[in-house]
Amino acid sequence: MEIKISVKNLDAFYGKNKVLHNISIDIPKNKVLAIIGPSGCGKSTFIRCLNRMHEVVGGTIKGEILLDGEDLTKTDPVLLRKRVGMVFQKPNPFPSMSIFDNVATGLRLNGVRNKKQITPIVEKCLKQSALWDEVKDQLNKSGANISGGQQQRLCIARTLAVDPEVILMDEPASALDPISTTKIEDLIFQLKKDYTIVIVTHNMQQAARVSDYTAFFYMGKLIELDETNKIFTSPSNKQTEDYVRGRFG
Amino acid sequence: MQEHFSQEIENLKTSLIKMASIVDEQVDKVITALESGDIELCKGVKSKDLEVDAYDNLIQTQCENILALFQPVASDLRLVISAIMINNNLERCGDIAVNISQRVKKAGNERSLITESQIIDMARTAQSMLKNAIDSFIKNDTELASNVVASDEKVDKLNKQIFSFLVAKMQSNNEFIEASTHLIVMSRNIERLADHATNIAENLVFYVDAQIIAHRKKLERSGN
Repeated sequence: MEIKISVKNLDAFYGKNKVLHNISIDIPKNKVLAIIGPSGCGKSTFIRCLNRMHEVVGGTIKGEILLDGEDLTKTDPVLLRKRVGMVFQKPNPFPSMSIFDNVATGLRLNGVRNKKQITPIVEKCLKQSALWDEVKDQLNKSGANISGGQQQRLCIARTLAVDPEVILMDEPASALDPISTTKIEDLIFQLKKDYTIVIVTHNMQQAARVSDYTAFFYMGKLIELDETNKIFTSPSNKQTEDYVRGRFG
Repeated sequence: MQEHFSQEIENLKTSLIKMASIVDEQVDKVITALESGDIELCKGVKSKDLEVDAYDNLIQTQCENILALFQPVASDLRLVISAIMINNNLERCGDIAVNISQRVKKAGNERSLITESQIIDMARTAQSMLKNAIDSFIKNDTELASNVVASDEKVDKLNKQIFSFLVAKMQSNNEFIEASTHLIVMSRNIERLADHATNIAENLVFYVDAQIIAHRKKLERSGN
C-alpha cells in the first residue's frame, strides 16, 4: 500500500502547552482516514499540522511529517496548501464572488488567467463536487446565495480547482442538514478514487460510513488506528471501545 | 452515504445468492442420487459444504459490518436481519445435504423400500420448497414465499406416513431394520430441509412486508 503522508513522532504545541503527544500515523494514498475523539482531543490540531495551518494560529511542532517522502516543514507553505487542500466546518465561499469565480479564484491566484483554460476546469470541479447540475444555469449568482449544503460543495469544488493531492476536511458536514450531509458523504466516497482524504468528525456514524481507516484520539494522544470496520466491530483498545459505544467518561 | 451503502447491500445479496446456489446444487445431487440409486453423485457433496461454511462466515461478517458502519433502519434493517437468518438456514441446509448423502450411501440400493416409502416424493417436495424459497428471495416475491410456507404441512404429513410405513416394515421383517433406520433418519433430515426452506420464505416476507409470519398458525391455535 502506497503511503501518501507519513507522520512520525509528532508533538504539537501552543506556546509551551503540548497538545499532541508523539503521534505516528501513515496515511495511505487514495483512502479516507477519519479522525475521531472527544472535543479537545487534538483532532483539528492534527489535520492543521498536515498543511502547516497550525503555524498560522501560532503553533509549533516537533517531529516529522512527510508528504510523498518529502519533509513538509521544509516546503513552501503556499505550495504545500496547493497540494494539501482544506475544507472547513462552516462553508466559507467568497460572498462577493459568483459561483464561477469562487472556483476560478484559486486558479487565477496560481497564474492561470486564460478564460478558455479556466472554464472547463471550473465545470469539471463543479461536476466532481456534485454541484454542476444544480448551478450550471446560475454560475454568475453569488456564492453566498445558495443553500448551506451547496455552499459546502462549492468550497470543495474550490479546493479541487487547484488540483490537490490530499484534501483535509474539518467537520465538513456538521453545519448541514441530513440530505446535504448525505451528498457530502457520497462525494467523499467518489473523491477518494482520485484524492487522499483526512476527515475530522464528531459524528462517529459518519466516520463509520465514509472512511477506510479510523484513528481515535484522546487527550492529544493517538489511542488506536485501524481499519474502520475493525474499529467499529472489535477495537483493540478499551478506551476506543468505550468511545465508539458511547460509554466514555 | 447512499452509494457506499448500496454497494455493501448488493455485495451481501450477491453472497447470499452464491451461497444459495451451492446449497441448491448440493441438495439436487443427493436427491437425484436417492432417486436414481447412483451413489457416485454423492461424491463431493461434503467438500462442497466447506464452501457453504466459508460463505456463512463471510455473510456474518458482512452483516456485522453493515450494522456497525451504517446503522440501517426500516427495510434496510429488515434486510440485514433477514440475511443473518437466511444465512443460518442455508448453512443448515448444506449440512443436511451432507447428512442425506451419508444415508444414501448406506441405503441407496434398497430400491423397492425407497420407492414404496414415498421418500422420493417427500424429498422432491422439500427440494422444490427450497428452490422456491431461494427464488422468492432473489425476486422479492412474497406470494411465492407464502406458497413455500403452505407446502410445509405436506412434507410434515409425508414424514409421519413414511415413519409409520418404515416402522411397520421393520416389525414385519428383521431384514428391513437397518435400511429402514437409515431411511427414517433421512426422512427426518428431509423434513428439516423443508423447515429451513419455510424459515427462509418467512424471512423474505419479514423483509418485504415487515410481517412476522413465523409460528403464526400455532400461536393462533393456542390463542396467543
